[in-house]
Amino acid sequence: MRLGHSSVVALLFLARAVLAQDPRLAARLDNPTLVAVNAIIDSARVSKLPTAPLVDKALEGAARGRDGATIISAVHQLSVRMGSAKRALATNATPDEIKAAASALDVGVSVRDLARLRAASGKQPVTVPLAVLTDLVGQKVPILTATNVVLQLARSGVKDPEFAAFQRNVRADIDQGADPTVAATTRARGALARNATPTKPSE
Amino acid sequence: MEGSSDGVIVARVLRGDAEVFRVLVERYRDRYARYAFHMLGNREDAEEALQDAFTRAYRSLSRCEEPERFGAWLFRILVNRCRTLGSRRGRRSRTFVVDEVAILEAAEDHPADRNAWREEIDRALQQLRADQREAFLLKYVEDMGYEEMSQLTGVGVSALKMRVMRACDRLRELLSEVHSA
Amino acid sequence: MMKDIARELRAPLSPPLSASFNGRVMAAVRRMPRHSRFRLWSRLTTPRTVTVIPLSWGLLAASLALFAIIGATRAFDDVRTATKPIVTALFPSSRVPEAPQRVQFVLVAPDAKKVAVVGDFNGWDAGHASYQAQHRGGGVWSVTAPVPVGHHRYSFVVDDSVWVADPTAPRVVDNDFGVANSAIVVQEQK
Repeated sequence: MRLGHSSVVALLFLARAVLAQDPRLAARLDNPTLVAVNAIIDSARVSKLPTAPLVDKALEGAARGRDGATIISAVHQLSVRMGSAKRALATNATPDEIKAAASALDVGVSVRDLARLRAASGKQPVTVPLAVLTDLVGQKVPILTATNVVLQLARSGVKDPEFAAFQRNVRADIDQGADPTVAATTRARGALARNATPTKPSE
Repeated sequence: MEGSSDGVIVARVLRGDAEVFRVLVERYRDRYARYAFHMLGNREDAEEALQDAFTRAYRSLSRCEEPERFGAWLFRILVNRCRTLGSRRGRRSRTFVVDEVAILEAAEDHPADRNAWREEIDRALQQLRADQREAFLLKYVEDMGYEEMSQLTGVGVSALKMRVMRACDRLRELLSEVHSA
Repeated sequence: MMKDIARELRAPLSPPLSASFNGRVMAAVRRMPRHSRFRLWSRLTTPRTVTVIPLSWGLLAASLALFAIIGATRAFDDVRTATKPIVTALFPSSRVPEAPQRVQFVLVAPDAKKVAVVGDFNGWDAGHASYQAQHRGGGVWSVTAPVPVGHHRYSFVVDDSVWVADPTAPRVVDNDFGVANSAIVVQEQK
């Protein structure tokens, strides 16, 4: 059956309407970028990945004035990382855990270490430990050290508020001139000691 | 402003007068340059560590809990910077560092024997382990008590005493031939 | 012998530091944001206020006075010990979305004319009315705005053009766009 010209145009408009699931994307992206981004989002949805982070990534790119190709690549890379994150964290990972894990992967944390963190954390969500890990690496703590420190804390049952306090203390020490590795390992010793028994931590 | 106490100057800086920070720079630079030089063994690293310490002190100035003791707080930052820079330098550069010290000393206008003795001390100091050198400098050159050193470094008093003792033994060993010559 | 050695080592560095040393330090100092009158005032007064809730700090979203950014870290200690945290466990994977929490964002930007908060909670829209910071004096800008429970990335936009990560919040390096954003985990208030 051949479609008349007007039918094709109508179908295209219909397609755009259907595909523009988030109206903000249509308002901020040009057509080719919109189509490509929505395709990535649809594919992510089929894979049962959270789609909101992909929309957010595209909106961020638009807000930062990035060109279409950069936005498409960023959204695609994020969806790949989220896929890896979800596999590493196992099927019951929450959207927040997947988001945080994708950020950790972006700074160089390995998929294997995501899985180790999940195993080390038991029933505790890993969102906050992952955000702390991402921050440590951003503060120039070597990835291996940062990962080992966070794993140790998770294994010993350190909870989110203590993780956050640990991150804050390491940041303050680095601002005061401390070497990032020394700051992270020293503060981790303190956090572990406080978490274990109420004895005075030794240097 | 030059005669004002540390506390007064810190308060001025925190109120927005960044320029007056130079008074603190002038006040502490030479004394702390001495520590940084002996700790790191060369002038370039010492200046880098000291400059870094001053800029970090400025940035974190509102966290200085006792502005009247700004100098001590700055010194703690410098000790940390020297540790960081020192560990990055590593063993490989040590020969170069010692040579540089010799070159610097040779340029000075001192009697030859005093020059040689000073050279030997500097060389021997650089052969100590970093933690022993730090403890020795804090005790003997900066004239600190062990409690103060412990607060500054986070190391226990008995560990510090051990480090100082080992540093002294090693320096005696390295320098006794020269000294008795 | 130790006294002899110590005497030698106590001698001032000779030759002294290079003449340009002071100049280099002051040049670095001038490049940094100035401290402000307001920060000094906020250090001296109590009670203090919670700023952004990067990862914890109990969500005293409804609270108190304003922190200066630099004083924030010490202030968090006070807040943590003095107040009962509202924090609960991280939000579980529930299908029912929790109500957004009110979160205060603070940025010290003495030369700014306009500061907005952008993030994945408002579509990174620097024009969003609820996320425009107000100038409180002394270069301190703040806004308390709704942020859904969960993990978010955000940044500040100064004068509609300069993006600034929150210096007090955990950093999220973003290699896709070559930038650094800030992370915040908002927890449900009991």
